[in-house]
This record gives sequence, structure tokens and C-alpha cells, in this order.
Amino acid sequence: MAKLNDNGFEPKIVAFLCRWCSYAGADLAGVSRMTYPANIIPMRVNCSGRVDAGMVMAAFEKGADGVLIGGCHPGDCHYVNGNYKTRRRVILLKRALAEVGIKPQRLHLEWISASEGVKFQRTVTEFTGLIKELGPSPMSGDGED
Amino acid sequence: MEKIKVGIYWAASCGGCDVSLLEIDEQILDVAAKADFVLWPCAIDTKYADLRAYKDGSIDIVLFNGAIRTEENREIAKLLRDKAKYLVAYGSCAQMGGVIGLANLSSRKEIFTTLFGAKTHWPKEESNQDGYPLHLPAFLDRLLPLGDVVEVDYVIPGCPPPREMVSQFFDALLGGKLPEKGAVFAAEKNLCDECPRERREERITRIVRPHEIEPDPDICLLDQGIICMGPATRGGCGAVCPMANMPCTGCAGPPANITDQGATMLITIASLIGTGLEGEEELEAEEAILAEIDDVIGTFYRFSLAASIFKGAHRE
Repeated sequence: MAKLNDNGFEPKIVAFLCRWCSYAGADLAGVSRMTYPANIIPMRVNCSGRVDAGMVMAAFEKGADGVLIGGCHPGDCHYVNGNYKTRRRVILLKRALAEVGIKPQRLHLEWISASEGVKFQRTVTEFTGLIKELGPSPMSGDGED
Repeated sequence: MEKIKVGIYWAASCGGCDVSLLEIDEQILDVAAKADFVLWPCAIDTKYADLRAYKDGSIDIVLFNGAIRTEENREIAKLLRDKAKYLVAYGSCAQMGGVIGLANLSSRKEIFTTLFGAKTHWPKEESNQDGYPLHLPAFLDRLLPLGDVVEVDYVIPGCPPPREMVSQFFDALLGGKLPEKGAVFAAEKNLCDECPRERREERITRIVRPHEIEPDPDICLLDQGIICMGPATRGGCGAVCPMANMPCTGCAGPPANITDQGATMLITIASLIGTGLEGEEELEAEEAILAEIDDVIGTFYRFSLAASIFKGAHRE
């Protein structure tokens, strides 16, 4: 796969992946020997709805340049509606981030099912490319948005 | 019996906290009988030199209201920490930055430009007035809660602290029954626990401001689409605002098990919204409902921004 805008900056990206869909999708990408940037730090959570707004903020506070949340497709949540809550949460979180001067694109929500190893690979590659373009997060101490 | 030495100090504050001390009615006579005020800039003439003359730890307790906005605030906070046996963060500003903590959304440069215009009009730290040197304390880049500068022993929350909490504190102080360090003079649980309104657990289908509807006085304000900070706010005030048909704005800060008040309220609101629609229609409707909140930080972090994970804007 072609490298996206390689400017030497290696971002740190925290990925909260739900156990039932996106983490399984990441596993599939792994066992299928697909390659993707090593910038992501995957965190397995039981449901994307488990991702508290405070966890996203704390990730940025501790130096993440981007945060990816992976959940089940609408209608597929193992817990019925956790992903719908996350979707609304992300809308508000992006606005809160913008208001404190952090580009909202640094937070990304994607639905990735257990069979979508390719989509996981593509999402991580594209998101890492975007964060590389944006540069370091202003909250990590060395960037400016 | 020797009188208890009490100090009261205001840093960056509006003066409301000082006034709130008088709300304890006739209990003030007990306070006057058993305590001596060694410092109270709002009410009595005491100088910093007098304060510096006290031995370390010789003032029994200091109630500190207001946030740390200038170098002077910081210097006096450290001085008072040395002189006082117990230091109390009194009110929202000392506890977590308060309303004025929202100034952290702007840089020092933006604040000065708004206030004074061109840089030539900005106040200088060192200047000469009529032949005398004048020193003004530096304006810090970011407003800080008291706890970011020195160790705080007790918190009396509120904007300003309500009568019951202040009264409870003076009872403990005068009776020699101060709790263990770290105590907060308020309830353990959140505001909803003591709010008499009926919670119907309705989904929110529209968000309104208090002036846009006449709320039902008996039903939870969140059920009626008014953003009430109760779920993420410490109780102890007796839910006075919701009882007056006004939503809680979160002045007492979060209960002990919550670290970031705004984050908790944000996910609470996100979880409560529900339209009953499906697919694209649902997403559009949800976006429209959430768009009704036109100031996310100002709504969810009205008092707690300076003490939040964000702390303020990150442009500089």
C-alpha cells in the first residue's frame, strides 16, 4: 500500500475497539497477515458504548495525537444499543474538542465488523495518514492546531 | 480559652463567597465569640506584612475563596498554606476554577486584547507612576484552582456555598470536630439523590433552555429536555435550583466517584437522547437535537473547566 504523506512524524493513536466486532476485525486483519501502520495502540473494550468521554480526553491528555473508536455496525451491537450511544457521544465530543482548540478530525468513529479485516486495515492506514498530516496534537505538548 | 484564629482570603473572585459567610444568620455570633479574624481583606484592614509576621502553622484555619489568576494570588496562596494549620477551598473558584475558569478558553493575549486593545495599552508589570515605581502582579497564562498550587485540606463547594454547608462547617470548627483531611462539606451522592422531582426516564427528543418552556414543577428537568447537571453534580444544597424550576448548573462540582464533571454530563446527555426513528433519519434527528446545545464547554464545564482533563484551550 502506498505511504500517505510521510513527513517523518510518527503519531501515537489510541484505538478503542469493541470486543465483539472491531477487535475481532483487527484479529482477522492480523491472522490474514495484512499490514497496517504500527502507530495504533489497540485497547479492547467490551463495547464501544463503554468508551467514556473521559477516556477519550485522558488519551489526548496522555499524549495521543488521534483517537479511533471501533464499534459494531448500527443494529449489530452485542448489547443492543451501545454503539448508538457512542455515535451521539462522538458528535458532542468532537464539538467539545473543537471548542478547546483540538481538531475534531483527531477523533474518529468507524463501524468495523468481525469479518471486515480489510476495512480495519484501510481505516487504520487512512486515519494514521490523516493524523500525520495534522501533526502532533496541541494537548500532547508539542503541537499546535 | 484561647480564640480560634481564622483567616479569610479572596483571590480571583467576585466577592459573593465573602457575603455568603453572613448567610449563617445568628450563628455568626457564636463565630464571633469563639474566633478571631486575623485576615479578611473584604471586611477588615489587615496587611500582607502582618500576615508574614505570623509563625508558620499559627493560624488555625484559612478559608480561601477565588481562583489563582495572578502571581499575587499564587504567592499569597503559598504564604497562607505555610501559616495555616488547615486550608479550605471555599466556593467553586477555589475548588475548581469556577465560572471564571472559562477564561482558559482564551489565551492571555486574547484576554488582554479584548480588555485593553492594542499591546501599547496593556498594563506593564513594572512602571513608574508620578515618580514612584509601580509593580503589578503578573497575569498567569492559565487560571488555576487552588489545589493546583498548594495542598488543600477541606472543600466547601458551591457558587457561593449554600447556608447549610457553611453552617455545618462552622459547627464542626467551633465544636473542635473537624473531619479527616480531604473531606468535602456536602453530600456524598449526586444532586438527583435529594431532588424531589419525579424521574420518568424519558428519552430526550428536544433540548430546550429554561426560558423557552414553562417546566412542570414535579417532573425531572432532564425528562423535559432541559439540561440539568444534577447527575454529575454533588448534592448537599438541597437541590435548591431545580426546586425553583431552574436546572442545576453544576456549581458544587462532581461527586467523589467522578473525576471529570463535564465528560460525565456529556455522556449522560448523549445516552438520554432517543428519537424512535431508524437509519439515516435517526442520525439526522439526533444531530439536530444535539445542535441545540450551542456551547458544549460552557454548558458542561461551566464551573469545572480549569480542573477538568482539558483544563482549557490548547492553542498556545
